[in-house]
Amino acid sequence: MLRSASILASNASKLSGAGVVPQQLLKIAGGTFGPVVTRGQQTLPEIKPGQESTVPRKGYSPFGTKQPNLVEWSVARLDDLLNWGRKGSIWPLTFGLACCAVEMMHIAAPRYDMDRYGVVFRASPRQADVIIVAGTLTNKMAPALRKVYDQMPEPRWVISMGSCANGGGYYHYSYSVVRGCDRIIPVDIYVPGCPPTAEALMYGVLQLQKKVKRMRTLQMWYRK
Amino acid sequence: MAKYLGLDKVGKLFQIIQQSGGLRAAYKKLYRFDELKIGSLVGTDKYGNKYFENPYYFYGRNRWVEYAHHQNMDYDGSQIPAEWFGWMHYKTDLPPIRDGARVQHKWMASHSENLSGTKEQYMPYTTTKPKYEAWDPKKK
Repeated sequence: MLRSASILASNASKLSGAGVVPQQLLKIAGGTFGPVVTRGQQTLPEIKPGQESTVPRKGYSPFGTKQPNLVEWSVARLDDLLNWGRKGSIWPLTFGLACCAVEMMHIAAPRYDMDRYGVVFRASPRQADVIIVAGTLTNKMAPALRKVYDQMPEPRWVISMGSCANGGGYYHYSYSVVRGCDRIIPVDIYVPGCPPTAEALMYGVLQLQKKVKRMRTLQMWYRK
Repeated sequence: MAKYLGLDKVGKLFQIIQQSGGLRAAYKKLYRFDELKIGSLVGTDKYGNKYFENPYYFYGRNRWVEYAHHQNMDYDGSQIPAEWFGWMHYKTDLPPIRDGARVQHKWMASHSENLSGTKEQYMPYTTTKPKYEAWDPKKK
């Protein structure tokens, strides 16, 4: 929250007083009864029925192919290859703490079948890429979570599943509960819900795949 | 006899390849969606997504969407607009093109996909004055 506010503060000129809205979220147009405020969010391109799409087809790579020189182009392609390999076999570590764990079991079952995305549960943190924190994180469990996270090899990601892991949820005011697992470990994907459906968690995993696809491991190394 | 030998499955495969539009197109479809299915086209939304149905497949897999061609590999579940969401999730059996009860207004907003991770992503911001002020060591 604070971090996002600071980003907005750098974008918009000031965020000191009340009621300051960043420009990119709202569009203001002139209307008959005064200015009309509309949502300035990007929407999907529309295609007229019965016509061929004129929208240019997106390329595979999120980095594009217009790098300034050949070396950077090759490094970007190597990054694509690396990310393709990583996103195709994201192995999660089960960290079921409460009822969310039941939904986490569901995505492994045949109906949602996470195996088709190369997502296979591992019991050891040393073999895992991502930890799914499913459920209420108590003060007593917090050091164990940190220890398990520290044992995971790089690159590692975290999915925070459910209200309790996101921000304490129902137990936010309890004396023995951590108010969000992001106070212990850095979180990549937050899955909302109490508990989230198996579908929602599956979508979270797919969002993580998208995030992995955008990783610039070799490009950052080359830049340095 | 052909059924016992499983030849009908081979026949089905040929049917699927034919419906996809040839071997090359079938391969491309398989690459893009990780599965090849045969089904009847139920409708197309205004964003170019095509919706299919075939009760031959198991419940939960008998309705599917083929995302617009220009999205390529960047398709996402949130690209399905609200009108088709109910049909895709078995909330209703009537797709929006056959359901006369769906209201349409000029002021209804166009659908936007989940923009997390892009420049357009939703960023929460506070509208109230912060309760405390951070210390600025440079200021005197």
